[in-house]
Parts: sequence; C-alpha cells; structure tokens
Amino acid sequence: MKKRYLALIVLLSTFLFGSKADSSIWGTDLLTHILEYDKEGSLHMGYWFTLIQSTYVKPMLLFVLIVIPLAFIVHYLLIGPKRFSHEGRSIMMFPLFKRINHGIAAISFIIIVPTGIIMIFGSTFGGGAFVRFCKEAHAISAPLFFLSVIPMLLTWFSRMLLSPKDDLRWLKIVGGYLSKEKKPVPAGMFNMGQKIYFWIVTLGGLVMIATSVALYFVDFEIIRPVLEYYSLSQIDFLRISALTHNIIGIVIVAMFMVHIYMSVFAIEGAYKSMVDGKMHEEEVKILHSTYYKELQEKGEV
Amino acid sequence: MANTWGYGAMTNSLGDIQNAKAIIIFGANPAVNHPVGFQHFLKAQERNNAQMIVVDPVFTKTAAKADIYVRIRPGTDIAFMYGMLHLIFKNGWEDEDFINDRVYAMDDIKAEAEKWTPEKVSDVTGVPADKLIQVTKLYANAGVGTLIWAMGLTQHSIGSSNTRLAPILQLALGNMGKEGGGTNILRGHDNVQGATDMGCLSDTLPGYYGLSEGSWKYFASSWGVDFEWLQGRFKSPEWMGKKGFTLARWWAGAINGKDGNDQIHNAGTGLKNLFVMGNGITSIAQQAKVKEGLDSLDMLVLCDPFVNEAAILTDKQDDVFILPAATQFETSGTVVATNRSVQWRTKVVDPLYESKTDQWIMFELAKRLGFYDEFTAGMKIKENKKDFTWPEDATDEIARIIKTIGLTGWTAKRVKSHTENWHMFDQISGRGYGKMKGEYYGLPWPCWTEKHSGSPVLYNTNRSVAEGGMGFRNRFGLEHDGTNLLAEDGSAPKNSAIEGGYPEINKDNIEKVLGITLTADEKAKIGKNWKVDKSNIIAEKCMEKGLAPYGNAKARAKVWTFPDQIPMHREPLHSPRADLVKEFPSYEDKSNHFRVDTKYVSKQTEQEWVKDFPINLVTGRLVNMNGAGMENRASKYLAALTPEMFCSINPDLAGRHGIRDGSMMWIHSPEGTKIKVKAKYSHSVTEDRIFIPFHFAGHFQGEDRTSNFPAGTAPYASGESANTVTNYGYDIVTQIPETKGGLCRIEYAKEEA
Amino acid sequence: MGEFARLNFYCDEHRCINCDGCSVACAEAHELPEYISRRKVITMNEGIENMEYSLSIACMHCTDAPCEQVCPVDCFYIREDGIVLHDKDKCIGCAYCLYACPFGAPQFPLDGAFGTKGVMDKCTMCAGGPEETNSHAERELYGQNRISEGKVPVCAAMCSTKALLVGDSAEISDIYRERILSKGHGVKTQPYGWDVAYGKKM
Repeated sequence: MKKRYLALIVLLSTFLFGSKADSSIWGTDLLTHILEYDKEGSLHMGYWFTLIQSTYVKPMLLFVLIVIPLAFIVHYLLIGPKRFSHEGRSIMMFPLFKRINHGIAAISFIIIVPTGIIMIFGSTFGGGAFVRFCKEAHAISAPLFFLSVIPMLLTWFSRMLLSPKDDLRWLKIVGGYLSKEKKPVPAGMFNMGQKIYFWIVTLGGLVMIATSVALYFVDFEIIRPVLEYYSLSQIDFLRISALTHNIIGIVIVAMFMVHIYMSVFAIEGAYKSMVDGKMHEEEVKILHSTYYKELQEKGEV
Repeated sequence: MANTWGYGAMTNSLGDIQNAKAIIIFGANPAVNHPVGFQHFLKAQERNNAQMIVVDPVFTKTAAKADIYVRIRPGTDIAFMYGMLHLIFKNGWEDEDFINDRVYAMDDIKAEAEKWTPEKVSDVTGVPADKLIQVTKLYANAGVGTLIWAMGLTQHSIGSSNTRLAPILQLALGNMGKEGGGTNILRGHDNVQGATDMGCLSDTLPGYYGLSEGSWKYFASSWGVDFEWLQGRFKSPEWMGKKGFTLARWWAGAINGKDGNDQIHNAGTGLKNLFVMGNGITSIAQQAKVKEGLDSLDMLVLCDPFVNEAAILTDKQDDVFILPAATQFETSGTVVATNRSVQWRTKVVDPLYESKTDQWIMFELAKRLGFYDEFTAGMKIKENKKDFTWPEDATDEIARIIKTIGLTGWTAKRVKSHTENWHMFDQISGRGYGKMKGEYYGLPWPCWTEKHSGSPVLYNTNRSVAEGGMGFRNRFGLEHDGTNLLAEDGSAPKNSAIEGGYPEINKDNIEKVLGITLTADEKAKIGKNWKVDKSNIIAEKCMEKGLAPYGNAKARAKVWTFPDQIPMHREPLHSPRADLVKEFPSYEDKSNHFRVDTKYVSKQTEQEWVKDFPINLVTGRLVNMNGAGMENRASKYLAALTPEMFCSINPDLAGRHGIRDGSMMWIHSPEGTKIKVKAKYSHSVTEDRIFIPFHFAGHFQGEDRTSNFPAGTAPYASGESANTVTNYGYDIVTQIPETKGGLCRIEYAKEEA
Repeated sequence: MGEFARLNFYCDEHRCINCDGCSVACAEAHELPEYISRRKVITMNEGIENMEYSLSIACMHCTDAPCEQVCPVDCFYIREDGIVLHDKDKCIGCAYCLYACPFGAPQFPLDGAFGTKGVMDKCTMCAGGPEETNSHAERELYGQNRISEGKVPVCAAMCSTKALLVGDSAEISDIYRERILSKGHGVKTQPYGWDVAYGKKM
C-alpha cells in the first residue's frame, strides 16, 4: 500500500515536474519557437495573432453589434413583421426530442454568446472577478452546447441539405422578407436562411468546441502526432485556434442576432414553436411552400 | 603532489586562471561543481582567447564550453599524459632551462614517455592519435597553460600516481610558478582545504605535521599540554605514531575481518564507536559494506543539521544518536578556499531550534570525557588568559602553532580585516589596494609572518619571498643518488640573498645559510627548525634576507619511497580491457594500509570482470546537489530539479537492453550489490559507459528505507545511492576509493504491481 | 542609468552553464509553487559536441509588448523603465498573452476548478505589481519588489557566470560587444531574441 502511495507521489511529481519538462509549450521546444518567431519560412502566427487580436477583433465585433441590430431596426420600422393567422390547423413540425435539443442549445447560446462578447470587451467591463465569472460560465456552457449540437446535427441533417431548386431562389428574394407581401416562398421544411444558420452553427460550432478545448487546456500532448505530421508547433496551433475561435465567434454572434430577430420579431409569434413545436397552416403554406406541397401529397394536410 | 615539490594544494588561484592562454582539465567539472568560479575559465576564453581542453569520460557541462573535448576511458590518464610528454620531448617543446634548474629526475620520465607513442596511447585510452597530437601541440605551445583537476584524477587506485604525473607535465613545460599556469586542483566543498589544513586526516597532525614523536612534542608544548599525558591517551606509545583508519574504510574496522572481509591491524580490537560530524558516511564507496560496518558498531553518533542518511541505512536499533548541529550561518569562524585563502565568516543568526554549534558539542563532549581543560588550553596561551573567546582565540592558536604551511600571518584581526574590506582587492591577482595595499586577498598560505602579504602563486621565483614568491620546498634531502636536490643557480626568488638553491632552515644552519649571526637571546629562543620555531625568528630572519624558510630545492619527478617511483599506468582494479590488465597489472596487495589489509592485484585478477560486467561505471555530480545530498534534497526547488535518482545512459545502449527513456533499470556491481534507478537518455555518454550522480540516499538495493526517518525529517527527494554499486578499489597511498573507475552490468527492471 | 533607459534582459549562451541558479533563485525569492516556472533554463543539443548550448528564458519585457496589445481586459501596464507588469485581479486567465508572447513567458497555475487555468503569472523583473509597493499583498501575489529598493533582479544577481544580465540596453550592448569581439566571434550581430523583444537594435 505504501509502495503504491509512494509510486503515486513519484508519478505525480514527475508529472508536475515532467509536464513542464516535456511540455510542448514550456519545454525544450520553447527555444526553437523563440528562435523561429516571425522569421522567414515560419508561419508568422505569432505576428498575425498579435496583429489581428489587438487591432481588428474588437472593431469587427463592434461593427457587428451595431450594424446588425441597426439594420433590423430599420427593417422592422420600414417593413415590419410577417403576421400569419392563427386559424386553421397547427402542423407538428418539431417533436419533443427536437424541442428539448433546441432548448438546450438555446440556453447554452444565451450564456455563451453574451459572455463571449463580454470577454472580448473585457476592459470595458473592468476585467476582474466579473469577467472571470463570465469566462467560467462560457466554458461551462460549452459542454452543454456540445451535448446539443451532435444530436441536432444528426437529426436535422437530411432536412438541412441544400436543395438546388429552392434555395437559390430563396436567396434571390431574400426569403420574401424585403416585402410586405405574403407570397409563397420556395423553401422545404427549412429555408435557405435557416440552413445557412444551421450549418454555420453546427459545423462552426464543432470548430468552436475543438478550438475552445485547445484554448482551455493549453498544454497537452495528445494531438502531438497530428501536429508533428503537419510540422505545426503547439503554440502556433493555439494561436490559430484563438484566431479561428474569435473570428468564427464573431460570425456566430452575427448569425445569432439574425436568428433572434427572425424568430422573435420578424415573424410574429414564431417563438411559440420552440415550446409546442407547431406552426399554423398559413405560415407553413407561405414560408415553407415546398414542404406544404409535400405534406399535401402525403395527405397530412 | 606534496611528494613532488613540497605542498599539495592548488598552486595558483581561480582568478589567476584568467591569465592562462590554455587550460587543460582532467577529470574536473567546474561548470557543475564551481559554477561561480567557472566564470574565470570563461573570461580566460573571452579575454585571452584561451583554448580550453576538457579530458573526461563523459561530455559534461564543462565539456560543452570546451574548445576541444577529449573522451577518455576512465582510469587511463597516466597513459594520456605520458602520450603528451612523449610528444613534448620528441618535438622539443619542453622548457629545458626550467627542468635543468628546478626539476630532478626528468630523464626517468623521458625514458618512460618514450614508450607511449600516440598509437599506444590511443589503444589504451580510446583517444584518437591525432586528437592527442592536436591537444598536445596546442597546450605545449600556448605560452602559459594551467592544468586543472579534481576527483576525476584522484579517485582511482593509481590516484596518487595521477596526481604526480600532472605536476610533472607542468614542470616539463615550465608552467609552474607562473601567472596563468600552475596545477590547480579544485577542492570540492566549502572549506575542504581548511579541513585538510587542520589535519582531519588519520595520518597527519594539524598543518600536515607527521605523526613522529617530534611533531607530537611540538604540539604538546604549543598547546600547553603534558606530552606524557597525551601519550597516555593511546593504548601504548607506539600507537601514537601509527596512521589511523580512513573515511574510505573505517567500516572494515567495525566489521573486524569477519566472514572473509579484509583483516585489520587495530591492536586486537574492532572499531566500536563512531562519532560523525558532517557528511561522509553515505558518500563512500561500497555502501553495502558501510551498512555492515554501521550495524556492527556498539554506538553511532551523527551530528548534522539534517539527518545523516547513515541513520536510516543501518539496521541498528539501539545506541544510534542523532545530534542536531548548527550550520555555518549560526556561528563564526574562518574557512579556507581552494586557493589557500582564508576568509572570515560571521554569524548571521543564533542556532535554530535545539541545534548546537559544532564547537559546543565538542566542548561538552570533552567536558564529560574529562579533558576539557587540556582541550582548550591552547587558546589561552597567547595572551595568558583564563577564559578564551571563540573563535578569535582558536584562529590565533592556529596562526601561532602552524608553521609548516606558514599560517603565522593568519591572526584573527588580519583575517577579519580582509573580509571586511573584500571590495578592496583585485579580482584576478588578488592584490589589495588602498587600505589593503601590500596584501593578497585571504593571505594565501604560506603567510610566513604577521606582516607577510600571502602567496597567491606558489613556486613563483619572479617575486620576492616577502611578496609571496618562493622556489620548491626542500623536503626530500639535499641530494639523491649523487644528484643535487637543491635548485640550481639563477633560480631563486627575486631579491634573494642566495642566487640559487638552499636547504630548509633550521637552528643549526641558519647562521651559515643566511650569513648572519644570532644574538644569544635569539639562540635561546629559536626553535629546532622552521617548522617548530615558536619564536618565529627563523621566518623573520628569512624575510629580511628574501629567503623562504622551507628552502629552495628542485621538484622531484621520482619519489623513491613510493611503490612506483615514477608514475606508471596500471589498469583499474575492474577494467574493461582484460588484455591490458595483463600488460599493466595493479599493485601487489598491501597489508596494514591505514590498518586494513587492502587488495589490489588479487582483486583485479580474481576473475575476468568485464565478462559479467561489461559497462564502465562513471560517477559524478550534479549542479543542484552537493555531496551526499542530504541538505539539497531537503530544499524544495533544488530537489524539484532532479527529484529522482537516475542514470544517464546512451540511447543505443539502453535500446539493446529494452530500457526506455524514463523506465526503471537495475545496475549490478561486481561486489554483488544492485540499485534500481530511472534511466535518462543522454548523448553525453557513449555506449560503453553509464553515468550516475552520487547525491542520493534513502533507498538501498531497491528497498525504500525512508520510513526509517524520524517524523518530519525526510527530505523531499530520496533515491538509491550510487555508492551501493561503486566497486572495491583504493588508492595505494591515500586509500581514496576508486569511484571513478569501475564496472557494472545493467538490465531492465520489470515493474512490480 | 539614463533618464530614459529601458531595462532589458540578456542571456549569453557562451556563458550559460545550465546551473539553474537563476530559476531556483527566482522560485525561492518569490516563493513560487513548483508548477510555476517564471524563469527556466533550456539546453539544446545536450551531449552533442560543439552544439550544446543553454539559455535562460523568462519575460523579456519587450518594447511594444505583444501581451499588452492583445489582453482583452487590459490588465498589463508598462512602466517608464520598460518593465511590463500586469494586474492579477483583472486577469481572467484567457491565455491570449501566452499566444502573443514569443518567449512563452506567461505561466498558468492550472489549478482552478474544472482544470481552469487560473490567473496568469510571469516574471516581474522583481518589480512587484500594482499593489502598494512592498506591502504584504504585493508580496503574496507578485513576489519581492527589489527594483523599488534599487536592487538588481534576483536571477541576474544570482547568475553564476554572469551570463544573465539585466540593465540599460546600451550598457548591456557594450558588455555583449566586448565579450564577443575579444573572443573573435563577430558572426552573430545580436543576442538571441533581441530583434523580437526590443526591435532591431543592439
């Protein structure tokens, strides 16, 4: 027993000491990284990270945070929301499983997105305990998001695949949201806008998860063989991860704001579908005309 | 070295190395063991473009800074140096004038060197012939070269020959007594030089006085102690003059020849009690035997600030005492540096917890053993006082009594003034200025009088004796085999009354040699010779005449009292070259070698060791550890740098035994012991050798004994001791263990569940 | 030191012998936990003749420090003498400074709940932090403040061979030049890392 205890301590101590000695960031490789920093033939990731992070990230996010809501305010004032009648039958669009799935994703996003924004503007919030708390919340919600994005990716996969005939046309008319008319819009169960959002959030979300794990744990050996294959050092990998995370993050913030506007404001009462999973017949006929035809053929309508 | 020219200490100083144009290092690793002192080596490289040559079996941190690195087989330094001498004589690079005037028997060396052609050297040492030629050419033609060594040269069965051939090499090149030259042995620990100066050896009295009755009588009267009483402390008068046990083999005394162990000659008894102050027990070769010795004792007392790991190594349950000693910061006194300089250390804090200073422990012991008055009498003599002040009176006692190495000038007052004004001395030469003008920092001994400046560069005839110059010591007589042993004309120190050599001064020849007449009063007071001259008249008169009290003689390349009159190569007792063992066998077995019968050739030829133990075992040090490591392994950050005992092993060698980087391995010794250590891949060792640091203790042959520590005293890091597997082997003269030349066998250690 | 002097670090690889005196002195002086290594010594090509060399690495207190540029909470502040310090109370442990740093100076205790990184710690050039100078709080969070007492940072003070120097860049350049010119090198024109840390000047 004592031997095992001792062996454990020895093992741990070598881990503590050994982890720094074998550390891919602070170990023997550090000198190589210092020598090659910003030299010809290197990836210059240190330089790019410093430049982009210090000069462009905040302005880009600020731009997104200001311009997008502004655009929607203008849209709401000029064009206003689409109103559909609540008469007629309700069509079940989202069974319980999908609603729960989406709900978890929604909760995680509600934590992740604002905390991410707060972190990027950390200095405005004075840093310190508050921003640190946001960071931890951001990190805790990430596994939550991960839990939801995999089922979402799997269960909505087929419906979210692009259909050439509808989606390009939908794009050309911007889904009909630029006019007050209520003309049928070419879209399947999900329209192009939703599809774009879906793929950005799921695939981008997976990238976000991967990069966030790298950024959280920082000093790990487990993917070393892969990195070595591409002659990528751990620190450069982290720099790329950080940049990717921030840029895709800004994109997701933008898309998230669009999603909120579309689902809460642009279509009156659409958020209720999140709870009961149903959409009224007129809405389906207009906004998802191809799907409506499909339902008609099946005889469900 | 003392047998070559009189004194056995570093001849120049660390700062003086900055004057060298070439530095050759045999078996020393100053980058690891003297990191701050290594600055001087680096500065020599920078400022003088001095070329540094490192000769070492392992590519050490020092070798990393070398201009030329020579990888040598352990224990073959004599062959290498003879190879160098061969080339030096062949090409006429020797300093003929110097040899004629100041060296005796260089021809014998020349004859032996004739045999050592570069090809022969290459066969024995493993050094390519062209590298030998390159090194010798560079070193011999550099102008002035300094030769550095440490344990790598001394810890062999032929260590005493190694340390004679190195001076001979320097003598041949005329590098002695010059700034930037000299033979500079780097002492390893703080105050080792002081410890040996004070006679912490079993064959000398303090100051390297021998054990003759004359010496004892001198000390008895200097201490104010009755000689008969002192003699009565020994079993019989003849035992007073016998050498005692050494640190290397005290345990043989405790084991007392049982079960086939070496027989002892200790007046019919074994060693019963051991009182240890400081380190040393776990840093000695053959720990399994040391353990046996510890177990055989009646009583064991260990005094140290940290628990001496001997306490946990032994199975002895009763009569083991651990006394907490204070550190050097908790007391004041003098220390002597490797360059023979003395410095004052001032107390910083009172002894912590229950620890007591070494002197308190010794005084209390003396009180209880009944000789406290005699023990302390010497400190009161100078000023005829009733009570002594420690440590000033102890320092003055040393200065008053020790004449052999000229400590007369080391009064407490002078020593303190140096330490208080240490900013007033030059870094390279040690010369003082301003208030300290006329003195060298630390008054390097010999410091013949209370006004003497100290002698920073030994045997330097370019200075007057009053300023630290001198010739070689006249220690071996006036002539040998018809040849004059005194220095030839023209080789006396500057401003010397005599142009050439002169004998050591004593009562009988002082008037004749110095050409003076003593007054009746002086004649009454003067001592028998310069070594026992309490009045110091001899030294004073010599200073006036510019003479060194110890004479001016030739250094001798031949020591007619040694088993090998000129240094001869002999293979280590455990040699990887069975063919060379036949050509260069070791010595005949020596009986009563410091009271223990010690094996040499019988051990070497007991079996063909290399068949079962094919790997060379090299031991050495780490920069973050010191000695047996107790103190450093109890320091958090130092232990964190090397938390486990390890073995530096070549990846190819390890691969062949299935040992991965970081896996455990066994090292087996020819003595039948084994240790389990972690393997660490390193390119600093080649496939035929492994390197292990000797700073660990606490585990023994795979068994973790740290549970034996009293609660809260275990250090952060413990491990196997390298000395569990160091081989049997002791120097023929000094009995230092052959820890630098041994064999072992390695194997992969299967993990237990 | 001139009025507008900036303090730079320089480690001479010809003198560094990997004695770890600097790293141990730093750890002892600031009572660092074992897993934080503000200053570390790295040896390259160990055991290989003519190729082995060692360097002592810590925060270089760069001019235009990239860590300060990327910090989302702006916890860094740069003193007039060039020392780059940060405020541990503001730091959120995001590690952007680590990504920006060419020298790997930021350290993280990795000791938070759920394995979170904790607040960043790095070499302060023995100049403490934003807390009141020589207060208990400063000592606890950042370690000793030697600069305020006019002392040299403990690593350079400790360096056995004076490989590690800290001081005004002009003075250090002079020392460096003297060393390499007398040995006859002349091949390399700057100390390692100076072009990255302090811009292309010597």
